[in-house]
Amino acid sequence: MTQTAPETCVDSGVGARRPRVGAADKVRGRLRHVADRPHGGCAHVAVHRSTRPHARITSIDVSAAAAVPGVEAVVTGADLYKVLGDRMFTGPAFSDQPPLAVDRVRYVGEPVVAVLARDVATAREAAELVYVEYEDLEPIYDVADALAQRAFVHDALRPSVVFGDLRHLAGKTQTNIAYEYNLKLGDPERAAAGGTAVDLEFWAPPVHHVPIELPATIGWVEAGRLELYSTTQTPSYVRQAVADMLDLPLSHVRVRVAPLGGSFGSKMYDRLEPLVAALAWLHGREVRMVASREEAFLLTTRHGAGVISSMSADAEGNLTSAVADVRYDTGAYADIGPRITAKSGMVAAGPYKIPNVAIRSRCIYTNKPSAGPFRGFGVPQVTWSHESLIDELARARGEDPAAFRRRNLLREGDESYLGTVMHSADFVGCLDAVTEAIGWDTPLDRGSGRWRRGRGVAVGVKAVLTPTVANAVLQLNQDLSATLMISTVDMGQGSDTIMPQIVAEVLSMDAEQIRVVAVDTDVTPYDTITAGSRSTYHTGNAVRGVAERMRERLLDLAAKRAGGSRKDLKLTGGGVLNTATGEVYRLSEIIHEHFGARGATLTEEFNFTTSWQPYDKETGRSAKVTEHWFAAAAAVRLLVDRWTGRVRVEHLAVAGDVGRAINPTLVEQQLAGGAIMGLGHALFDELVFDQGQMLNGTLLDYQLPSVKDMPAMLTPIIVESPHATGPFGAKGVGETGVIPIAPAVANAVRDAVGVRITRLPLSPERVLQAMDEAGVEK
Amino acid sequence: MRLIQLTVDGRRYDVPVNDDELLLDVLRDKIGAYSVREGCGVGACGACTVLVGGTSVSSCLARAVRYDGAELTTADGLPDDDEVLSAFVESQAMQCGYCIPGFVLMAHELLAENPQPDREQIAAHLEGNICRCGTYREICRAVEVAAERRART
Repeated sequence: MTQTAPETCVDSGVGARRPRVGAADKVRGRLRHVADRPHGGCAHVAVHRSTRPHARITSIDVSAAAAVPGVEAVVTGADLYKVLGDRMFTGPAFSDQPPLAVDRVRYVGEPVVAVLARDVATAREAAELVYVEYEDLEPIYDVADALAQRAFVHDALRPSVVFGDLRHLAGKTQTNIAYEYNLKLGDPERAAAGGTAVDLEFWAPPVHHVPIELPATIGWVEAGRLELYSTTQTPSYVRQAVADMLDLPLSHVRVRVAPLGGSFGSKMYDRLEPLVAALAWLHGREVRMVASREEAFLLTTRHGAGVISSMSADAEGNLTSAVADVRYDTGAYADIGPRITAKSGMVAAGPYKIPNVAIRSRCIYTNKPSAGPFRGFGVPQVTWSHESLIDELARARGEDPAAFRRRNLLREGDESYLGTVMHSADFVGCLDAVTEAIGWDTPLDRGSGRWRRGRGVAVGVKAVLTPTVANAVLQLNQDLSATLMISTVDMGQGSDTIMPQIVAEVLSMDAEQIRVVAVDTDVTPYDTITAGSRSTYHTGNAVRGVAERMRERLLDLAAKRAGGSRKDLKLTGGGVLNTATGEVYRLSEIIHEHFGARGATLTEEFNFTTSWQPYDKETGRSAKVTEHWFAAAAAVRLLVDRWTGRVRVEHLAVAGDVGRAINPTLVEQQLAGGAIMGLGHALFDELVFDQGQMLNGTLLDYQLPSVKDMPAMLTPIIVESPHATGPFGAKGVGETGVIPIAPAVANAVRDAVGVRITRLPLSPERVLQAMDEAGVEK
Repeated sequence: MRLIQLTVDGRRYDVPVNDDELLLDVLRDKIGAYSVREGCGVGACGACTVLVGGTSVSSCLARAVRYDGAELTTADGLPDDDEVLSAFVESQAMQCGYCIPGFVLMAHELLAENPQPDREQIAAHLEGNICRCGTYREICRAVEVAAERRART
């Protein structure tokens, strides 16, 4: 049978290095962000913030603020409570956070009073005139204070309705521990005896996401409904949270999102939205709030985390035990901390075959700004611990750290200590790729004089957020262009670029013809969240599913022409090919014929939902703890200046197992971008607190990686071990690159100058101090 | 309130401003130049960069009244055949893209002063701009591509 139609030729489908959608507009700055909405005639919000870490509010005097010309309203937490009651307390895991403090403040910088005024300057000026009297309570500055259990950040725990497994904590008093996860396998203590063992205590400080776009939320009431236009990764969550707070049907809250100018976990769950929604609803006024950079620092942070850990191996070099006591400092409000504590605490022993494991992971309240999700969801902090520890164990055994890891890494089909069988998580492939890239097995010039050279390696593992829900709606237009409706928010990761590639692959289309609709909860379907690197797999599967349904629909319609049978029909780039007759039925004609009208569209929808098996209550183990895994590795060659303690990275290689790269260019950019962020965490990123007060919450004081911090060489490496149920084998990559960087750097510093540093960041002072303490010659 | 005249990307605007109003706010709120963006408010990130007569200025630190009569360039106003713009697009020098207009303008300023910068000179000139997505490799490459292209024409 000869075919008259051209072969399917899709160069913008899966695996293509398709240029990023909107590239030209991004370069010119023509892409509109939320704060670019014109704002004549709306009320601007500024907040008066707590000056105390922990205190009871005894009185609030707003008279001076209210008297400022241009001020429309001054609102306290008590005002909101009168209308909203307990519904004003929101949060994804615990409903513990009010948009404005009620009766009590729990961190320095907590919003206490909101001012609505004609412009930002007036609102901010008036907010400063609010006078609050406090009665101080005992402050809980850190995890050690909190665990002393003398004073309590909250009188009682308030788990939200979102997670059923937290319900038993409701009403628990006399505790600062919001959540505790325990994993028990075998007998680590007995297993460690007789072999080689190391134990160390680690600390990763709180850091900040600092997306360059500032958080912004605009809210108004229209036709009896609340409209929000907001910088959020979680539009479906925000709709639910705001509807719950205002006691509105979901149909009466609309959340729209513009592409985000970065987020990294900072623009999620309840940020500015509850306050703006409450003010807009109660005042019937368009209300606008754009956080200043200083305010953005207070909205959420990455959990500072301590890990007390040990690891042991037998004489043959097989790991025999691991113990980790993980303490996440979640600040004054739990946010998603309890989830981080379980989902990331559980991998605190690393991606290794270990027969005896004990992990305790706790989410701990303190009087500091709330900590929430941050690229890696708590995993970088425990990776800092297990990858430093295993390096020391390899050295204690006198073995090459890469070879020692390689022997003990989990492989395809292995059951991990968590109880879940590993699939599509090629740790060995990632490790081999990065070590080869930096020439691990070649002789190393160790340097001379003030400069000393070293090499380090680290691997990492993270579970994808499970269970979650994704939906996709596809409209195929008669002219063969298509509109894809999903609620994944493009914040730089490139979902608007790759999702059309999946549709293009299935339907033999050109991806340029497929447009992703900006997220609008009135239009785009429910999607759990854009976070946890889940979208390529989850939403990608929904997108593949909807495209496949569309393909079936087209074949059904074409079958009418082919005498009712689909047997010989095949969808190609040119239309539906009848392989029996060689005829090609044009899609535009098929669609036109079906509707008898010009310009009609075919619409299909698809849902993709994943499931998990909850942890066993006794052991913390689960046969399916996650839908899939992320595997990462990094290797670094660097120089340490023995005179100044400064680290100069010569070559950083980072690898991630992505299953299948839908768009290799975008995957490499995510890996490299994550690695650069990780270098900041390794070398200088740190939020500094003194008695609960954030000391460096401005970009004059908070250092971020600039072009000058780039390694001389940076090599992102794609590893593909296809996932059986991923869309074309694909998984996500957003967090992978950041996970192994800090320990890889510290291991290289250890290799260069012989000191093991257990507290991040590896600032010049800290490196020098460690060398001094170890008596290293300078 | 004072009426000042700003020429932005070749167009003249007469705008009333207060003495303490920032150039950034005037450009965004009164002219609609949304490619100029706030990132830090303290001149430390470069997202608000504009060129004033070819020289880069952090508009978040500049009082608008001081720029009466000035000629400003934003990334949005560069001509379609601009080598820097096309080099950034072709080098995939963006992820979220929020900070990129600032980098484009800094690259312009650099290439005007130094048409053939080496890597170190590029890094030195772009050091004050932050790309939190970490797209620095592509950004540096884009500046090199733009320089090569200009040298050829």
